[in-house]
Amino acid sequence: MKGITRIATVIAAGSLLLLAACGGSAAPTSQTSSSGGPQHGGDLVFARTTDILSLDPTQMTDNESIWTAESVYETLYAATPNGRQLRPWLATGYTLSPNHLVWTFSLRHGVEFANGQPMTSADVKFSIDRVSAKASNPFAFIDTAIKSITTPNKYTVVITTKYPWAPLLADVALFANGILPDNFGGESQSQFFTHPYGTGPFSVSQWVKGQKLVLVKNDHYWQKGKPYLDKVTFTDVPSDNTRELELQSGEADVDEFPAYSSISQLQSTSGVKVGIFTSSRTDFLQFNESVKPFQEVAVRRAISYALNRKAMIQAVLFGHGTPANSIISPALWAYDPNSPGIQYNLAQAKAEMAKSSVPHGFTTTLLVGSGDTTETSLAQIVQQELKPLGINVTLRPVDPNSEYTDIQNGQYSMAFNYDTTDIIDPDELISFSAMGGNTGQKTHALFTNYNNVNVDTWAQDAERTFSQSARQALYNKVQIQVANDAIMAYLYYSPFVYAYSTKVHGLDIYPTGNYHLENVWLSS
Amino acid sequence: MLLRYITRRLVILVPVVLGVTILVFFSIHLVPGDPARSFLGDRATPAAVAALHREWGLNEPIPVQYWLFMSRLLHGNLGQSLFYQSSVAGLIGGRLPVTLLLLLYAAVLSVLISVPLAMAAARRPDGIADHIVRAIGLVGIGMPSFWVGTILIIIFALRLHIFAVAGYGNGLVGHLQSLVLPGLTIAISIAPMLVRSLRASMIEALNSDYVAFAKAKGATAPTVVMRYGLRNASISAVTILGINIGFLVGGTLVIENVFALPGLGSLMVQAILDRDFPVVQGITLVFAVIVVVVYLLTDVAYALLDPRVRLG
Repeated sequence: MKGITRIATVIAAGSLLLLAACGGSAAPTSQTSSSGGPQHGGDLVFARTTDILSLDPTQMTDNESIWTAESVYETLYAATPNGRQLRPWLATGYTLSPNHLVWTFSLRHGVEFANGQPMTSADVKFSIDRVSAKASNPFAFIDTAIKSITTPNKYTVVITTKYPWAPLLADVALFANGILPDNFGGESQSQFFTHPYGTGPFSVSQWVKGQKLVLVKNDHYWQKGKPYLDKVTFTDVPSDNTRELELQSGEADVDEFPAYSSISQLQSTSGVKVGIFTSSRTDFLQFNESVKPFQEVAVRRAISYALNRKAMIQAVLFGHGTPANSIISPALWAYDPNSPGIQYNLAQAKAEMAKSSVPHGFTTTLLVGSGDTTETSLAQIVQQELKPLGINVTLRPVDPNSEYTDIQNGQYSMAFNYDTTDIIDPDELISFSAMGGNTGQKTHALFTNYNNVNVDTWAQDAERTFSQSARQALYNKVQIQVANDAIMAYLYYSPFVYAYSTKVHGLDIYPTGNYHLENVWLSS
Repeated sequence: MLLRYITRRLVILVPVVLGVTILVFFSIHLVPGDPARSFLGDRATPAAVAALHREWGLNEPIPVQYWLFMSRLLHGNLGQSLFYQSSVAGLIGGRLPVTLLLLLYAAVLSVLISVPLAMAAARRPDGIADHIVRAIGLVGIGMPSFWVGTILIIIFALRLHIFAVAGYGNGLVGHLQSLVLPGLTIAISIAPMLVRSLRASMIEALNSDYVAFAKAKGATAPTVVMRYGLRNASISAVTILGINIGFLVGGTLVIENVFALPGLGSLMVQAILDRDFPVVQGITLVFAVIVVVVYLLTDVAYALLDPRVRLG
């Protein structure tokens, strides 16, 4: 029987040889450059959590598509890094008519698309007209105030609005209003989006769906000397663990959204930096006011008082967050630090319950996204913390799509949700999340069915008011009212977290989540 | 004979696939959820939701939608993804080779692992080697794939730098390299079953009269094992491998996730979560065909390995 052992050994050795033969060196290539300032060249490998769905700015709804497209297409105005102001980008400035209806933008001279064609007003009109051309376009709402766009000459664009519209500058700074070549540069729409380009620092060189998207440097970029990188490769790596291992091995330079539980370990890993950036995200527990007893302010306030935000932040964010006091995040200029968003106070919670029609509590359900570990942990905390009020919470786990649908169809009592903003003006957020009934975007205050005429009026006034301080005062009123009404139990503000190699420089994440890759460079 | 059998089995494929389309179409449409709301997220204005329902044909009655799906299918058109700006056939075509190659790799590696281990164990039943192999099998079957995958990455990619951590590599060589660790992970999860079945069959074969006769005739040990032992024992292993193809196809999902492979499994899960109906229907159809074809190949392999088996 010795022969059997020999055969077994040969096969086993063959297996190992096959493995070894298929193996190659996975060691990252190194760069050679040693100047003091930003260094040119290199391929930034950016490991992301999900795939890119679209590169058509009028069709994008997922963040990965949006943040990629912002390196390809640019807008007339753009947000400053702190997200508090707008700065001229493809436009050099604008004038506004005395009746606040006609915005005349002067375009920057010398801006070229990646194919070398100069950008003109025709490109701007073509691109912005596309955004609201179809009612099904996801960001059609952002341009509803626009009545017409005209192009008196190659470097002037005139946008006329249907009514005075203060958020217009922030609206044109939205990615959806990014500038493409007029008429897709003479190609068909489908042809163009196989290799899209704009005036941005990079253009798309390769897109293997579900695997990677490669951007290459735009040699015609108008900011001379930028971008520093030759290439950016976005890879789709859904597993948190795998992204971390890729970063540690040097296969990836950036790990998008490492798990909160890994932050402290990554911070102590040599060759790795962890960037914690302010975001516009506010997480909350929302109530359906069409379901009894959530129409009662006292019930909503009682629940809000009963929730220990600090414990939640520790449990799900591992301490990387702050308790929320307003629907607007501190990242936005309109945030009111004095907004009376309810904080944990069990005695007050009991006092509010005593004022309600259900002083001894009630039974209700909480919608939880199945497989969402954050929501599951939060749900268990909520369940425990509402017990002292006599509120018996049954968890209702549903898959994430059903969760969306149930919330939007009003098929829920309590649910977790969060809001962010795509523009730095508070208008988008407030019109979706605080305005009720048939005002705003008609989403019934983020499907809570909250309805307050004063809130609607202040928000509408803010849309038509052009003094920043006057708008701030109006938004403060909105924040105070909705906080006092406990439209939602605001939970916390969480940051954007990125882990990246110490070789990566200039990576700055803006409060709306986007980044300017033209400023990023790799050191040797 | 064999050709007639294969033709008949391929014809049976048609009602099976039709049944699968009906089951999948109606079940995915009956579960709660709405692709339009998933696409638009919290910015789902009533106007945009209504417009998308019209554009995607979701306001038609379900039987009408099924009829439209089947009419397109009969013309060889799987439809257009609601989320990806791409045809379903294009999406599947890009990802199917990854999944097929991964399955093939896993099958080959599992055989390469199982055969020597089973041989070593069968050499002396209840001997030390046998106990070690059985213990390894128990541990192997008890380890979750995502954990095994991560451990393999840490050893072979992070420490030894033999393979890349994840991804699908570039070019054919790159693809083949990138699939070694994922294939090995899957192989480790199936190998224990194969080892157990091979070991039992080999012990039985090696104790049979025909093996004793072969030895008496002066056949060498390798000849006895390969020609009389392994060949007869492999019938059960082929069955196990064939039956587990469904399990394997499902198992690729976890592996694709851990190793960031752009296969069908990850696309399927995302499509289900998004309610991207055309993609879910297309992938299920492809998986159904793969499973049925593999079962057919298993039966054919059976006939080739055992001349007593007559197909028909």
